[in-house]
Amino acid sequence: MNTATTSATTSTTYFTRPSAVVGALVRRTMLRVRRMPSAFVPSIAMPVFQLIAFSGAFGAAVRFAGIANAMDWYVPLNAIQGASFGAMGVSFGLINDMQTGFFDRLLMAPTRRWSLVVGPIAGSIARAALPILLVILVGFLGGMNVPGGPLAIVMVIVAAAGVSTTASAFALGLTYRMRNMGAATLTQFAIFFTIFLSTSQVPLSSMASWLHAVARINPMTNVLRLARQGLLGDVTWDQTWGGLVALAAMLALSGWFALSGLKSLEK
Amino acid sequence: MLPGPCRMAPSTFVTERLSRLARPGQEFVECNIVTTSPSAPIVATGLVRHFGSGDSLVRAVDGVDLQVEAGEIFGFLGPNGAGKSTTVRVLTTLLKPSAGSATVAGFDVATQADKVRRAIGVALQDAAIDPLMTGRELLDLQSVLYGIPKSVATKRGPELLERVGLTAAADRRVGTYSGGMRRRLDLALSLVHEPSVLFLDEPTTGLDPMSRLTLWEEVRRLNREGTTVLLTTQYLEEADQLADRIAIIDHGKIVRQGVPRDLKAQVGSPTLFIDVDGEHVDMARGILERFGDLRPTSEGKLGVGLAQGAEAVASVIRTLDEAGVHVRHLELNEPSLDDVFAEATGYRLEGADQ
Repeated sequence: MNTATTSATTSTTYFTRPSAVVGALVRRTMLRVRRMPSAFVPSIAMPVFQLIAFSGAFGAAVRFAGIANAMDWYVPLNAIQGASFGAMGVSFGLINDMQTGFFDRLLMAPTRRWSLVVGPIAGSIARAALPILLVILVGFLGGMNVPGGPLAIVMVIVAAAGVSTTASAFALGLTYRMRNMGAATLTQFAIFFTIFLSTSQVPLSSMASWLHAVARINPMTNVLRLARQGLLGDVTWDQTWGGLVALAAMLALSGWFALSGLKSLEK
Repeated sequence: MLPGPCRMAPSTFVTERLSRLARPGQEFVECNIVTTSPSAPIVATGLVRHFGSGDSLVRAVDGVDLQVEAGEIFGFLGPNGAGKSTTVRVLTTLLKPSAGSATVAGFDVATQADKVRRAIGVALQDAAIDPLMTGRELLDLQSVLYGIPKSVATKRGPELLERVGLTAAADRRVGTYSGGMRRRLDLALSLVHEPSVLFLDEPTTGLDPMSRLTLWEEVRRLNREGTTVLLTTQYLEEADQLADRIAIIDHGKIVRQGVPRDLKAQVGSPTLFIDVDGEHVDMARGILERFGDLRPTSEGKLGVGLAQGAEAVASVIRTLDEAGVHVRHLELNEPSLDDVFAEATGYRLEGADQ
């Protein structure tokens, strides 16, 4: 017993800037990527492989729908897919942090709770930058047309980053609730179905029956339209706003899902 | 006889302090003053935390009352699953209480969690550190989490590394650290923001004796500097060595609380442990019962609290010998925290001999 002390030492009070916490968590994500590249390589290789495979296998189908180069159709899809793979990394990372207790350290920090959600999401976007850019580069090498000019590439990046954010927030929300590896598997399942039940492979006009009905209401169809417009023609507001609304809605829902999941951990 | 200082139940800690003021032979006067001080760094009142619902409801913490005074080391002792870690998780804002209330550093853990977090340092049971990061990187991250300006962090980080003896290993990945190094780094991380209250959840579990002693010394040093420490442990020796006061928790309830010396004195008589041949166990038990209350022991042994004190040992042995009971081994123990634990819970703490 420290008998000389009748009152405990007083902590100096500092204010934690949530933006600084987000930045620190992004740096940690990138540091982990550098130190464990084996976990990152598949998320780069898969979208590039799929781009080449899809363009070869389904090229004829999209050319039948009037698209000159299959790369014009598949580059946005695979950029989005590559970005969404990061969500599984977010889920695995969070599970790992929960199992090692590192996540408790974050929870005990006197910072805004949203910074603990935005940090890993921002890290996931940073992680996704390389596969997105690599897919675009391979697209150029494969003769991708860009009638929409530089804005077309911006649209691909906006759509991919938006989907990355949404998928990562969904992954966090699911992992906060399930607290096991099953969350990563379910995240992958959800992303796969959302992407493939849209116009991912062929245009809406080529679809029939229930698949057409589902793809028509799937918000991912709007996001893909936003991403593809500049590679198939001009970038127009008509082709843009639907995608932005879809992204905003998905972001709002997944953001709420993640934040409420985090709160449920502290109950 | 003049009355001594008044005893302010239930704070045994205050009693301990006052007992030093009392003259030999003086009696305490019971004041019946409620001593739940709002200024105490840690106060829990009727704290309950349960998990699940219906038939699967588990009350991990079941009405815990405790008060940790400023500047003391408080030991929270109990076996695995007793509720120690859950209590700490509630007090450190990681879990919300199901019922009851608790304040830490004067702030309510349920409604002022952010203020509590700012005031406390926590080293949880498993050193919560990222093995891919270096010690220095983790200290930098921790500084950001607590909003410590870079100018302060660049000075404090190396100081803390020096303090816990990790300067040479600062730029190595934590995955290459030994268990003791990880615990020391965890302790350094918990001190980055100079907390006034420190929670250490089983800080030496799994450590070798040397690492354990090093950590004990660091905890004492922090306490001398004014930090209030709540330490959970399943090691009786650790509680005995470090804690000014202890609470024993079992099945979510505090079963004993006080100054270790007082608690041992309450148990009273020394315990005689004997080891006899299997066929003589029942006969030996019958004989031992004549000399005092049987006490819980590890399997294969018998224990008795000697009502007449250590002087009765010769009589016990003589009686056993006359009855033809061959004693293979005997051991006389003065009351220990293990006895306090056994008396309070009905069983001995696993690893009590560690």
